This record gives sequence, C-alpha cells and structure tokens, in this order.
Amino acid sequence: MGQLVVNGLALGSIYALVALGLLLIFNTVQIVNFAQGQLLMLGAFIGITGAVTHELPIALAWAATIVAMALIGIVFMLLVYFPLRGRPPFLVILTTIAMGIVLENLALIIWGPLPVSLPSPVRGPPLRFAGVVISMHQLTIFCTLAVILLLQFLLLTKTRFGILMQATAQDLHTARLVGIPVNRTIAVAFALGSVLSGIAGLLVAPIFLAEPTMGGSLGLKGFVVSVIGGFGNLPGAVIGGMFLGLIETFGARYISSNFRDAYAFIVMIAVLVAWPRGLFGEKTSEKV
Amino acid sequence: MYRKKFLLAGTAAACLLMSAIQQSKADAAACPAEIPFGLTTALTGNLALLGTQARNGVEFAVDEINAGGGIAGKKITLKTEDTGASSTDALNAMNRVVEGKPLIIFGSMISPHVFAQTESVTKSETPFLVGATNAKVTAQGSKWLFRTHVHDGQLAALIPEYLVKSLNKTKPGIMAVADDYGLGASKGIQAALTGLNVTPAAVTSYAPSDKDMSAQLLQIKDSGADSLILFGRPADVALVMKQMGDLGIKLTTIGNASMVAQTTLNNLSAAEADGGYAIGGMIPQTSADAKILDWAKRVQDKYKVPADNFTVSYYDTVYMLKSIIEKVGCDKAAIRDALTATKDWQGLLISYQADAAGDLAHMLGIYRNKGKTPELIGPIKESGF
Repeated sequence: MGQLVVNGLALGSIYALVALGLLLIFNTVQIVNFAQGQLLMLGAFIGITGAVTHELPIALAWAATIVAMALIGIVFMLLVYFPLRGRPPFLVILTTIAMGIVLENLALIIWGPLPVSLPSPVRGPPLRFAGVVISMHQLTIFCTLAVILLLQFLLLTKTRFGILMQATAQDLHTARLVGIPVNRTIAVAFALGSVLSGIAGLLVAPIFLAEPTMGGSLGLKGFVVSVIGGFGNLPGAVIGGMFLGLIETFGARYISSNFRDAYAFIVMIAVLVAWPRGLFGEKTSEKV
Repeated sequence: MYRKKFLLAGTAAACLLMSAIQQSKADAAACPAEIPFGLTTALTGNLALLGTQARNGVEFAVDEINAGGGIAGKKITLKTEDTGASSTDALNAMNRVVEGKPLIIFGSMISPHVFAQTESVTKSETPFLVGATNAKVTAQGSKWLFRTHVHDGQLAALIPEYLVKSLNKTKPGIMAVADDYGLGASKGIQAALTGLNVTPAAVTSYAPSDKDMSAQLLQIKDSGADSLILFGRPADVALVMKQMGDLGIKLTTIGNASMVAQTTLNNLSAAEADGGYAIGGMIPQTSADAKILDWAKRVQDKYKVPADNFTVSYYDTVYMLKSIIEKVGCDKAAIRDALTATKDWQGLLISYQADAAGDLAHMLGIYRNKGKTPELIGPIKESGF
C-alpha cells in the first residue's frame, strides 16, 4: 500500500510538472498548448544528447537543455502563436496539436525510434522505510516540483513581471495601450513554459526512458490534471496531478491495469460534473 | 557397342540438363528490367521501433543483391510505404503499394496491420510475406500469405513448458502488453499452463503507452509468484525490468525475444538484465559465427539500430525469394507455389520449411542474459519439425 502511494505521487508529480508549464502559457495568452508533451520529449532528448551522446557532466547537460528549451519556446511562439494571434483561439489550439505531431516526427528523424535512458542527476541508495522503497530520483522529482511550484507562485503574485503577465492575460489590447511590453511578456511566458516541460523531460527520462512518442500521453495527462485542479490554478494543478497519479496507480493495482488511461478521463468527467470549474477553480462572472 | 550406348545416354542427359538450365535462366531472364518489390511497415508513430526492423532487413538484403548484380542481372526496386501506427493507414499504404503492381509484397510484423491488409493483397494475387506474430495471421485462408517469423502460438506453448519443466517454477505471474500481440500471447500462455496443471499466481497487463508498471509488479509480488512471464516489446520490457530492480523485486523472469534484444539491454544495468530468460526468434548477437556477427555489425552501422530477430527474418526472406525467382522466374503463381514447397532453405540462422498454413519458421532460440550479454542456451524446434 505504502509503495503504491509513493509511486502514485511520483507519477502524479510528473503530470503536475507538465501542467505547470501548460498553465504558465495559458495564464498569459489564454491558449492551451497541446504540444506541451512533445516539448517535454524534446527536453529529454536534448538532455540525452548532452549527457549521453556528448558525455557532458550531467549538470552541464541540464543547463544546456534549459537554455535550449527557452529558445525553443520562443521559436514555438513565433511559429505557432504569433501568425494566428487575434484569430479564434481554436485555430491556435489546433496549430499546437499539429506542431506536436511535427515535433514528434522531427525527433524520430533526428534521434531515431530507439528508447534511450538518461542518467539521474542524483545517485545513491534508495531510502527504505517499513518496506517502502523511495529512490533518490523520486525524491528529486518531489523536491523539483515543490521548488518550481513555489517559484512560479512567487513569480506570478510577487513580482512586477508576474503582474504584467496577468494583465496581458486579462486584456492584451489594454495591456499594450498602458505600455506593457506585451510581446516580450508573451515571449518570456512561452520560454518559461517550454523550460518547465524540458525539466519534466529531464526528470522523466531516467525512469521512463525517452522515445519520440513519449510526449503524447504525458501532455494529455498534464491537460487533464489542469482541468481537474481548476484551469489556471497552480496549487490545483499540483493536487490534481497527485490525485490522478494515485487514482491510476491504485486503479491499476486493485481494479484493472487495462483501463489505466481511461481512469484519467473518467475522473476528469466526474470532477467536471460535480465541480464544473474543477476542484479549485475560481468563480468568474461575465457581463451580458 | 556399350561405349556407344553410354555416349548416347550421356549426351542425352547433358542435353536435358543444359535444357533445364537454359529454361531456368530464360525464366529469370524474362523478368522485367527492374523487379518491383513492395513493403509496408511502420516507420513513424509509436510502432516505428518495431517497424523499422522490417525495413532494415528487406532494404539491407535488396541493396546487397543489387550491388552483386541483382537477380539474373535484373535490379530489384523496392517501394516502401509507411503505415504509421493505425490499421486504417496500413490498409491505405497497402493499396498504394498494390497499385504499383509489385511482384512481391512484404508486410510488417504488426499483426493488426496484416489482418487489415490481407484481403487487399489476396485480391491482387501477389505473394505476401510477413513477420506478424499473431498465431491466427496464417489462418485467414489466403493462399498468397506466408510468414517467415516464429509466432505467438509457438512461444505460448514453449515458454510455460520451459519455465515449469526446466526451471521448476510452478507459480508464475504473467505480465503482457495489452494489445493484440501481448494479450493473444497471454491467453495462449494461460492455456499452456493449464495443460501443465499450473495456475498463474497473477495475470496482469499494461497499455502500450504505460510508463509506470509498479502497480502490476507489486500485484505480482503480493500474489506470492515465484517467477514472471513477461511478454512485451523491447521498450516496455526494459521499463519493467528496470522498475523491478527499483522496487527490489527479484523473480526468475522469462519472456519473448524482447528480453534479450539489444535495445532492451542498452537501457538496463548488468544487475537489472542478469538472469533473464527468453524464448523467441533467433537473434544474431549470440552467434558464434564471425560472418553473422559481422553482418549484425554492418546492419547496426548502417541504420544505427541493432539488428534483431525480425531483421534476420526479413533479410532471409529477400534471399529466399531471390533463389526462388532464379528458379521459377517472375510468375507470381509460380513463386507462391515455390514458397509453399519450401523445404530446408537455409537462412542466416535457421532453415525454413513451409507448413500447410504458410508458416515457414519453426526454430526458436532459448536465451539467458549473463549480465548484459545474452547467451544462447540452445535452439528449440516446434514439435513436428
């Protein structure tokens, strides 16, 4: 039982990390990026190229990946968001899906179909407590999630830049009129969103291996936990991620492992029926 | 007098032989200037790792044959269509290949794709050679369909038998990928265990996209299993083995060839891989023959992917067809009949023999990982061959 809880929380933490990247972009431009999972996959492969192919020290490989992912985020914005800005949001969302497919096939061409492992940034024997095994890598995932959640929360609520991001999200045209550097704000949001996915990729690859198609399922789960938590709510996404990780793990153990992916969507529908704005969604009103 | 008769008989025999040779040369020479082969396999999507092995095997053999002068001086042209991961796309890809009127068509090792394509190929009356492992693939009633790789039915019988009779394990847990490939094998394994009076301690599966197998592994551990029968593809078998190590679960594990595939072993530590057993198609890396090891190295150098049991099977199939076309020419029905009559055709690692259903591969290998190095315990033949 204890082991299932640890493994469920570790899995849920990864979903939460994907969701945090997704929400950073959503909270700025009100667009759901369905290629977030594929950005995660790119982060994993860039890390592998550095640490495995070029045998760089793992810390340097991580740093290089973070820089590369920031640049990829900006290119992504230039290719996907800017040309369609002002058009109906569903067009941008569809383009993110298309870009995800492009990235997947691009990775297949560049890195091939073979699954590859990335060394964990932390080494050491696992912790054992009452028969429950917690690997050092799982601990790293928990700590990384906690740090990123805290930093993102502080960025959005305590810094001037965070306030600019929120203003941009609320009304892009008014934000521009009052002198907010809208383009720069959006670029930083895409860069940070991409970096968060890259970090998730670096954390996933040592335990789940990296392969070109790894992002599809993880990206979708990131979206599901965002919905469960209340779209836009950061702590909600983390709690939603943990909740989904536990549901999947316990469902696979005690009900059936055949329906593991289905649990995510069943839970999402059930939550939306009971709480239409998600578990922690804020009430909004609209003038008519 | 006797000498004269002997000379006459000798001359007649020589004429007959020359005529036969001329006939065979004429048949192959009557082939078109370029002999068209078609191939559909998954080169993109989540089955690409598997599908590229078919492309690598076929393409490597075709390139070698063309570099050596082709078949009776005629070059082979290979048209390859990507099926992606869906059966609908596989059928569309096959229809595009069939439109090109190839002499031979190769299908992939992905059974749902082959099921979707068989009717279309059968209507075109073209020999259809596949590596698809679902036992029922050759039971579709197509006289144009042949399989040159061992199938799940053979594995499902042999894996439990080896586990129970040779490794003395009587309480296995079963874990298989939840698709046509794994679930079909899982059912066969359960039936074979029943025949051996053994009840599995736990039967579990995982979706092809699953990454966290800990729930299933803990279920097997909690059930008191003394061993694990693992049936999946290299990427997920590597994950299961890795997570068994992480969870500290130590069970004698036996599975299909994915257990000893280079792709699996590349992602495991020596401790995680050590002691795993496999029964499956023959893999080249364990061969003691320097020529075969050199072949495997050349394939890896060219494609950056280690050759596996499927690569060997598809490579052999192209050479088998070369030898058939040299004998019977480019008549599709004659090629089909020659395939049906195949007996003891020696490939890289095994000899091929056609049975009534159209299955040509009947020899498997039993392997054990010593650290990260797979070792061949011995070949094993399907009963009756």
